[in-house]
Amino acid sequence: VNGFTINIMKHKKKNIIGIVASPGGHLTQLLQVSKAWSNYSAFYVSTHMSAIPLFKKMGKFYIIEESGRGRLFGTLKSIFTCLVIVNKERPKVIISGGSGCGTFLCLFGKLFGSKTIWLDSVANVEDISLSGRVILPFIDLFIVQWEHLTKRYKKVEYYGKVI
Amino acid sequence: MIFLTVGSMLPFDRLVKSVDIAAGKGEINDTIFAQIGSTEFLPKYIDYVETLNRIEYMEVFKSSKAVISHAGIGTISIALKYRKPLLVVPRLKKYNEIVNNHQLNTANRFLNEGYILKSDDTNMISERINELSKFIPKKRTDNSYRVEKKINDYLKKILDKTDLLYK
Repeated sequence: VNGFTINIMKHKKKNIIGIVASPGGHLTQLLQVSKAWSNYSAFYVSTHMSAIPLFKKMGKFYIIEESGRGRLFGTLKSIFTCLVIVNKERPKVIISGGSGCGTFLCLFGKLFGSKTIWLDSVANVEDISLSGRVILPFIDLFIVQWEHLTKRYKKVEYYGKVI
Repeated sequence: MIFLTVGSMLPFDRLVKSVDIAAGKGEINDTIFAQIGSTEFLPKYIDYVETLNRIEYMEVFKSSKAVISHAGIGTISIALKYRKPLLVVPRLKKYNEIVNNHQLNTANRFLNEGYILKSDDTNMISERINELSKFIPKKRTDNSYRVEKKINDYLKKILDKTDLLYK
């Protein structure tokens, strides 16, 4: 078993995919579809310590500062950390669970040549999230969970709800 | 045991207080275990913790008879998955509990489809809690595999075979 593990490690050059979501609803929804990337090595990014025990089982992870309205310092720190993470990991794809913390990771990822996927939360019933609206031009595959939203935004796609 | 959970990001004293008071008066026909977040208000009549990590959370969730929570989509989706009777109290903007009323919209959508119970008013909370024992949530239709397939197809399209973990 050890030999086999070492063999994989040797061939593993880097993490292909970056997964980002704040814990709670966003992470819950994204992990509903985790088989989508189970054939690729991935690293994980979240914003709260409560995600750590789960991430420890899944692979490499980063906990970044919470960003959002009324959290200027946290947001600035989070922007900088996202830049450092993207520069270090250089993932080919970033998949965001649609929380604020994914905005900067997707933005920097796009600048460094990553493809970006955004799964907007089912909680956004009347409109896509504020973060989603801001980052929409930088997202390659933007998935929403309410069909009526595809009428308002040409670029978004609907395949059903993940919950 | 009924599990009361308000998420780890923000306190939700209005809900925790009302359940604590109802429990203190003996109005609730079951025991309560609460996850209350970091808050100044500490319950007197119910068992509680500040936060649970994800694994602990799932254990408590699965072993509970029913769940009371804010209208967070994480809790709603787990409740639907395990078909737990769920009573949600949406966080409301007018009480400064959240930045907008999206929890109310979410709650109404799921309420109208028969997935959950809802209470906007916390004064009557004990009656709604006691309804949980009779409430059978509608079974959800799981479309997550369609979203999963779309993402997987997209990854296959843009990534090389050499990117696969097990070649």
